[in-house]
Amino acid sequence: MKLLQGEILANKKYGENLFKLEVFSPYICRNCLPGQFVNVKCAFGRTLDPILRRPFSIYEIDKKFNVFSILYLVKGKGTDFLAKLDKGDILDFIGPLGEGFKADEEIKNYLLLGGGIGVAPLCIIAKELVEKGKNVFFIAGFKDETFFVWERDLIKIVRNYKIFTENGSFGQKGIPTVYLKENLHRYKDYKLLVCGPKEMLRSVQGILKSFPGIPAEALMEERMACGVGVCMGCAVKIKKSKGGFEYKKVCSDGPIFNLTEVIFD
Amino acid sequence: MTDINIYEPGYEPGHEPSYEPDLSARFGSIYLKNPVISCSGTFAGGIEYNRFFDVSKLGAVTTKSFSLKKKEGNPSPRIWETACGMLNSIGLQNEGIEYFVERQLEEINNLGADIILSIFGEDVEEFKKIALKINPVLKHLKAVELNYSCPNVKAGGMAFCAVPENIKAVTSEIKSVIDIPLIAKLSPNFGSVIPCAIKAKEGGADAVSVINTLTGTAFDIDTFKPRLANIVGGLSGPAIKPVALLQVYQLAKEKIIPIIGMGGIYSWQDAVEFLIAGANAVSIGTVNFSEPDAGEKIISGINDFLVLKNISSVNDIIGKAL
Repeated sequence: MKLLQGEILANKKYGENLFKLEVFSPYICRNCLPGQFVNVKCAFGRTLDPILRRPFSIYEIDKKFNVFSILYLVKGKGTDFLAKLDKGDILDFIGPLGEGFKADEEIKNYLLLGGGIGVAPLCIIAKELVEKGKNVFFIAGFKDETFFVWERDLIKIVRNYKIFTENGSFGQKGIPTVYLKENLHRYKDYKLLVCGPKEMLRSVQGILKSFPGIPAEALMEERMACGVGVCMGCAVKIKKSKGGFEYKKVCSDGPIFNLTEVIFD
Repeated sequence: MTDINIYEPGYEPGHEPSYEPDLSARFGSIYLKNPVISCSGTFAGGIEYNRFFDVSKLGAVTTKSFSLKKKEGNPSPRIWETACGMLNSIGLQNEGIEYFVERQLEEINNLGADIILSIFGEDVEEFKKIALKINPVLKHLKAVELNYSCPNVKAGGMAFCAVPENIKAVTSEIKSVIDIPLIAKLSPNFGSVIPCAIKAKEGGADAVSVINTLTGTAFDIDTFKPRLANIVGGLSGPAIKPVALLQVYQLAKEKIIPIIGMGGIYSWQDAVEFLIAGANAVSIGTVNFSEPDAGEKIISGINDFLVLKNISSVNDIIGKAL
């Protein structure tokens, strides 16, 4: 991990409040593993508000041109700032952070389930898995048509995917966890990777109780301050094998955890 | 004749700097190579931040507060950002003092950093037990900081700082067990820190850390729920700097005990402000989270400021505003 500055090459609008920010950074492109993230300063110079950096998982890596990207939804002060950045501006960020994703040699089939902006880290993971010759099935769920343009990125990575929207504006109308509940018996030799809102993770964890043989990992999200394992702000409750629980840090122990071991309070 | 760059910091016509200012800080029986310390809980043991700068450059690294036994801490969410600051309710999560003695101490030593060990106990007995555990490693420590903002279980969970007399009792008990400079970290949540500082001095403390976080909270207007699972959190960051500065200034005027000033320091200018308000050293906390190389920058900023002002020692600016 390093404190870095990189030139912004593009800040593309994908949909209502959805953007892809492309940043030049040979260091990130050489050193980043799928599932890792960058902690981005969302203020200029000595501006003190917002004071904390914002963590974004890395969405794409282009090793040829040394460009990485993040996909973000404009939700608050930090992402408001990002949306105003332009080509040529300099981004201040720390990365790559977190433990990256490592494909399981034993497992041939992967089922990736992303909810909302949770699809971002799953895309780079999907790309890695496909490159390793794994069979990947990607399920994504959204509220509305915000991610309509994003599908063009997904098509380039996986052939086998399903998109659900709550309002039916694109893909199939419905909720991916309902699909998962009804169809998970068909994916018994798959490993499940999930990223999305907490309610979705909790619901998938519930579904998995009927399928104890299916391994599942979740990419967790918590509010963070340092991003490097110091402040202990981003704690998640994890079951201990001997009983009881302990707090793990999303930033440095994660962001990937065994979904069946996560305790949702 | 050598070229003189008039844009170099420190250049003033006729006053070409021929010295490096003395940054060393001496107060009580504490000696630090410079007056910039990291705050407890914002720097872990320095291992992580050593990737961003050589943390041995700091006056000292203050460790996360250790209790006698491992402590799991509070449920999430534990942090919430506020205007120019943040609330935290980590709940003093730590691995226990044995972890420090057996593992972390060596790791920090390997970085070459000077160490201030922060400890807390739920009563005087626990404080004493921790003191006994660290007795064999005292030679590796610059000082021990006593976190008096933690709840005193014997007093119904009220913080030690709520009853200044407790501070005297605990400090003197520890002083009788271990021979090392003691720093009492004081809370601003019970009015002026002056009564606590007096008692810390009477108990044998060498210095006080002023201030710890200010208690606060925040709510989600959509869910009607608190932003922190613990409801109450400690506010830190530039939002609290004026409060911290006033506490330091008022305490310094009383000339009771040396002060390590802290609370919202984000730049070298902030650090200098605390020094002129009477702090003998400063400690940086929340800034580490957003600017992981802040320590190094603040030290060199103070150095350049002294050169520019033609001041030979950092000691010469301490209390200048008093």
